[in-house]
Amino acid sequence: MTGAQWKGQAIHPREDRRFVTGRGLYLPNISLPKMLHAAILRSIHAHARIVSIDVAEALKVPGVVCALTGEQARALSKPLRPLIPLPVETPYYCLAYEKVRYVGEPVVAVAAVSRYVAEDALEKIHIEYDPLPAVVDPEASMKSDAPLLFEPLGTNILWHDCFTYGDVDGVFSRAAHVLSERFLIHRYASTPLETFGCIASYDNSRQYLTLWSNDQRPGQAMPILAHSLGLSITQIRLLTADIGGGFGNKRKPPYLVLTALLSKLSGRPVQFIEDRRENLMGLVHACNGVMDLEVAVAGDGRLLGVKVRDIADEGLNVLNPTVHSLLKLGNVTNCYEIRAVRFDGYSVMTNKCPSGANRGIGKPFMCFAVERMLDGVARRLGRDRIELRRQNLVPPEMMPYTTPTGELIDSGNFPETLNKLLSLIDYESFHEEQKKARSEGRWLGLGLALAIEPSTSNQSSYMLTTGKRTASGAAEAAMVRVESDGSIQVVLGDVGSGQGHQTAAAQIVADELGVNFEDVQVSPYFDSLVSPWLYTTGNYSNKFAGTDVGAIQGAARKVREKLLSLAAHLLNSSPEELELADGAVRSKKDPKIRKTIQELAQVAYRDLLALPPEMEPGLEGRCYYRAALADLPDEQRRVRGQLFVSNAGHAAVVEVDIDTGKVAILKYAIVHDCGTVLNQVIVEGLVHGATAHGIGAALYEEFIYDERGQLLTTTFVDYLKPTAVEIPDFKTDHLESPSPYTPLGMKGVGEGGAIPAPAALANAVENALEPLGVRLSELPLTPERVWRAISLASKKTE
Amino acid sequence: MKVPELVKVSLEVNGHRFEGEVEPRKTLADFLREELGFTGVNLGCEHGVCGACSVLLDGAVVRSCIFLAVQAHDAKITTIEGLAKGEKLHPIQQAFLDHHALQCGFCTPGMVLAAVDLLQRCPHPTEMQIREALSGNLCMCTGYVNIVRAVSAAAEKSRISEKP
Repeated sequence: MTGAQWKGQAIHPREDRRFVTGRGLYLPNISLPKMLHAAILRSIHAHARIVSIDVAEALKVPGVVCALTGEQARALSKPLRPLIPLPVETPYYCLAYEKVRYVGEPVVAVAAVSRYVAEDALEKIHIEYDPLPAVVDPEASMKSDAPLLFEPLGTNILWHDCFTYGDVDGVFSRAAHVLSERFLIHRYASTPLETFGCIASYDNSRQYLTLWSNDQRPGQAMPILAHSLGLSITQIRLLTADIGGGFGNKRKPPYLVLTALLSKLSGRPVQFIEDRRENLMGLVHACNGVMDLEVAVAGDGRLLGVKVRDIADEGLNVLNPTVHSLLKLGNVTNCYEIRAVRFDGYSVMTNKCPSGANRGIGKPFMCFAVERMLDGVARRLGRDRIELRRQNLVPPEMMPYTTPTGELIDSGNFPETLNKLLSLIDYESFHEEQKKARSEGRWLGLGLALAIEPSTSNQSSYMLTTGKRTASGAAEAAMVRVESDGSIQVVLGDVGSGQGHQTAAAQIVADELGVNFEDVQVSPYFDSLVSPWLYTTGNYSNKFAGTDVGAIQGAARKVREKLLSLAAHLLNSSPEELELADGAVRSKKDPKIRKTIQELAQVAYRDLLALPPEMEPGLEGRCYYRAALADLPDEQRRVRGQLFVSNAGHAAVVEVDIDTGKVAILKYAIVHDCGTVLNQVIVEGLVHGATAHGIGAALYEEFIYDERGQLLTTTFVDYLKPTAVEIPDFKTDHLESPSPYTPLGMKGVGEGGAIPAPAALANAVENALEPLGVRLSELPLTPERVWRAISLASKKTE
Repeated sequence: MKVPELVKVSLEVNGHRFEGEVEPRKTLADFLREELGFTGVNLGCEHGVCGACSVLLDGAVVRSCIFLAVQAHDAKITTIEGLAKGEKLHPIQQAFLDHHALQCGFCTPGMVLAAVDLLQRCPHPTEMQIREALSGNLCMCTGYVNIVRAVSAAAEKSRISEKP
């Protein structure tokens, strides 16, 4: 009895119990003896030269221990090593020096006995700035006369490249129809409810740094820290506690370096925790951007080719630029069979908060543009929008399907996803409902969007923009250990940030070792001294299914093999004649001939002379699992940027108040396919949450900068997160198209819902306002923006 | 800088009496977390919007991040740590478990207390009443779907148990 038993069960996450009783060990709950608290003075200018900084008065505030300026940081550390090193040099430290380049950029840090005192001290710091013209709009930033963020570069364009796949010019010249449209995406962020935080404890006597953080990519943070601080990796111990949400946002090596330097200076542990205002202005935003999309369509509605000119506004992101661009490139054909692609991409700096990872990274915008365009094509050709999509979907018999840019869609049944979606939203009866509503003066609309939701980033894809091979592939690590009393311990490289990894890992290990789910302990914490890890270790790109599962299973299998060998030795049998079940290794023929795991563990750790002479003591397995599908870019610059492709369809029925522009969601349906489902409870939860992020981005959330680069939305009063009133109940259904390339057939699920939701909602609003001829190409669909679009359309028709 | 005078605060938290001396500016949240160790009081925004720091103060829900410790003098406070009776969870906590009404768990203490407050005031809420009562509590993980389902189920369960 070694077959699947716990896999596939809808087990409620075991971590929930700790959290409902208020026992989460989040970073802010950790306190060390003599710990100081840091506060950061941030730039009030979008762009300015720093003339002078005077911290003397601040240092006199009782309770202040030390202060750190950019010049000091520059003397004490090396520039932060970019994760995606472009050929251009933009040296960047944990604090601004010489210049500030966005409102909210850290300028001086203070460590004091309490956060209150540290903030008092900030008020005593005198900084003289010489303000410079700021550039806020990415297109303006590309102009030759734009103010330069880094003068030696001579440009604000960090990266530009043009990728062509297939006969683009040919299909566009022969196409019956060519449509073009400009789409805009705004800045937003998933804003995990726990802000970024860390505690550094630097032991000057042995040059050793211990660092607790809620950074969701410890594998990447470690080498950056070591490089900046001039330490070897063995001089750093990095730990994470419970992470109160991540969504890509929680990775900020500059704060880790900053806190480490404060601890080094003060000789005491230092805690830094962002407040929400700092979080909104300085942690990370999803790129805003401008996309010109052109499609070539045959007379019968076949999509022949797509051309994109994309400008990603990175703000001051000099650490991992071009991520948005690369993921848009990989998603440019969405779920459609389009053979010719041109992608002309720009990564541009402006005087705004650094961009970076945020649930979906670029994919929501790509999906938005393609799915908005398809509604436009249907309108232009007089075709039904569903039929047009159906005609162009990659058919299931073509799976696995390679897209022109080299992405591999490993599995899926897109037409079936669409069918289920139509039935879930009750598409057939909507037309009547809409007609009836319109006769009552109510503006109802139905919109839908289909999406691929790729997961598990392949590090090699960055070679397309960097031209350098600094990392490649996709991998994660895990450890399984049977302790001497027979209890089972699992340690993960990727501990997650609310996705139920402890539960999912226990399900996998329980099956591999033939034990009860309850008997498998999984550590919620990462510790670089204990946890197996590598550069790619961390919680990102939906990679649990793609790499983590393989590592967990691989580690468990190493232990399993050893248990079988050891039992075979003790039972005078052979491993082939034995199986694991009910917490024991037993004979397949006669289950009474058995050794419990506890008995075997006793031997492995204590009764060492009972071991076979050639066998190492202990029962521990570590696995570093590499996804075999990862490749390098080929000579045509095709690459599998993300390796395992889920898909979904979202449909929304909305009502628009045309007097105010307010959009209300009446119904929302989701059909998703993330391959084999390990745990339906976890999957459903992630689908709900990701969709809510998409809805927030589509209707409410927006970081607004004025023309001087001042951020106007720095609290949750101005930056609107949707509440329980705005997010509707979701109707969900799913398909299971197992991936042939992952150990259990699973595929990524965490970011999926965020990708199609903005497109589905915009399509719904436009559908509602169809008789008015309203066109929407920009997000979010706030009442003001919708109202303006209605006014503009009615002016045109007058 | 003038050192602020300390003010005596005496209050009851989860049935236990506590006394302390605080700066007048110290928030109730910081007092509960730092001085008394009730770290289930999470700080998500520190400007009174997200609700993660919610506690019950003399039976009503308040945001402890925009409430001063000195204002809580003589008050009776319940934090998330005081809700369960030993190992027996409060019915709302149990409902959150049964419906997987959380992911990262950071909003959960405030969310649970807001739901407790609602069901005290309104034992049989409609779905919209639940949504409105929880609209002062942000959750970034769940899309609220399972939270609303959990609170509905807890209310329904108490309705059944009320029946003779």
